[in-house]
Amino acid sequence: MSDVEALACTLDEAARDVRAIPKLTDTAELDVATAYAVQRRVIERRLARHERPAGVKMGFTSKAKMVQMGVHDVIWGLLTDAMLVESHVEVDRLIHPRIEPEIAYLIGRPVRSPADVDAAVAGVAVGFEVLDSRYLDFSFTLPDVIADNASAAGYGVGAWHEPRDVSNVGMLMEIDGRVVQTGSSAAILGDPMRSLRAAARLSEQAGIVLEPGQVVLAGAATAAVPLPKGVHVRVTASGLGSVEVTT
Amino acid sequence: MRDTSIADAADRLLEAYATGVPCAPVRDLIGTDDAYRVQRRLTDHWLAEGRRPVGRKIGLTSAAVQRQLGVDSPDFGTLWADMAVPDGAEIPAGAVLQGRAEAEVALVLERDLPHERNTAADLLRATAFALPAIEVAGSRIRDWDITLADTVADNASAGMYVLGNRPVPLSQVDLRLCGMVLERRGEQLSTGAGAACLGHPLNAALWLADTLAQAGDPLRAGDTVLTGALGPMVPILPGDVLEARVEGLGDVRVAFAKEDS
Repeated sequence: MSDVEALACTLDEAARDVRAIPKLTDTAELDVATAYAVQRRVIERRLARHERPAGVKMGFTSKAKMVQMGVHDVIWGLLTDAMLVESHVEVDRLIHPRIEPEIAYLIGRPVRSPADVDAAVAGVAVGFEVLDSRYLDFSFTLPDVIADNASAAGYGVGAWHEPRDVSNVGMLMEIDGRVVQTGSSAAILGDPMRSLRAAARLSEQAGIVLEPGQVVLAGAATAAVPLPKGVHVRVTASGLGSVEVTT
Repeated sequence: MRDTSIADAADRLLEAYATGVPCAPVRDLIGTDDAYRVQRRLTDHWLAEGRRPVGRKIGLTSAAVQRQLGVDSPDFGTLWADMAVPDGAEIPAGAVLQGRAEAEVALVLERDLPHERNTAADLLRATAFALPAIEVAGSRIRDWDITLADTVADNASAGMYVLGNRPVPLSQVDLRLCGMVLERRGEQLSTGAGAACLGHPLNAALWLADTLAQAGDPLRAGDTVLTGALGPMVPILPGDVLEARVEGLGDVRVAFAKEDS
């Protein structure tokens, strides 16, 4: 238990100090279950600083990423209200930030298990996620990245739309007006809705209830790109409008 | 000397077509500037055989492929009526050498585009409708070991193609934002969006219209234009059944025979 506490403290302080650290598995034994315990502890430290739970983010939702990491299932990270980006990200407060285009779901009713999902979706939106691994060179093993809250750093969402089929909507990410990534929401497990069901499964396993008003970031439609200082980023999804952020 | 080289390059490619055995690259015989003259020789050969030209394909439309080949422009090849198979039909084994599949937007024209410099308005007025398409590209060059000269000479690596059956007017679809997914038995092979094709599939078609008119062989009413890949190409295997879905255009599929008959 003290191990979990110490590892969580290391990660939390790395984020607060804006300082990359060697990955935990360089020096510690870490399995997936323990890694999730570290993740929970990192978030509890943030909640103790008066942040509030805001939802979850799903990771490794693309086939390419699963192959790259040698895994067969998704992972998740926990979001807090302090991670919500309105229109500006202070990249100086991040180690080596990246940004990726996302599909986001708004939870309208409590989700305790996958059976709750279909009736629970209150809205869908285009979004973005700002990633920032606390590890040197963005390099990690599966337990490392789980412990590090799936590299979560920030997120933003566009206007909420009525729930609809978003299994194959085109997505563009532009930086300063230039298209840097193109893709389809189909890259998210074939349909972002599958990712939402996986989130419900993980929440059941973790005993975490997804509450009304919380957000599920279903996953990225393309690979992430570095997020430099002084730029304007816009993510657009067919039929869902766009969401913008400056740095 | 130069004409001989062009004839030699064309003969090498025709030999690969005839034997079904991929050949060495032709870049040792020709410069990049001569590549369309080689392609023209192939075209003349096929016209003499009685094949019916039905349009053009545009290649090298993605930023990634252009970087890979070190070029900053697309290329084009000729589509022939016998390259097209109906939606869901099977392509015989060996019909396309070293086949690779990609999902595209196809345009079908209802007016000629004779001007050397076309505007979006010209193209929109000339286009009857769009269709989803799968292009099964092929290369007569061994192991796809191609430079720009090789692929241009080789009819822009054209193979066969399949068009969807539900025409969609351009007013009904956002070709920049449309999502694309290409699957094999439900397994995702490739995803993308319209903007992956030169920023917009119509940008690619405009380049083609201008380029062909400047070469004195403009796009004509009735032509089909395969505008270019919306996502990465994927290798195909015997027995595959591939399905592409393009948001707003619908779906289209193609099968590949199991083995040589």
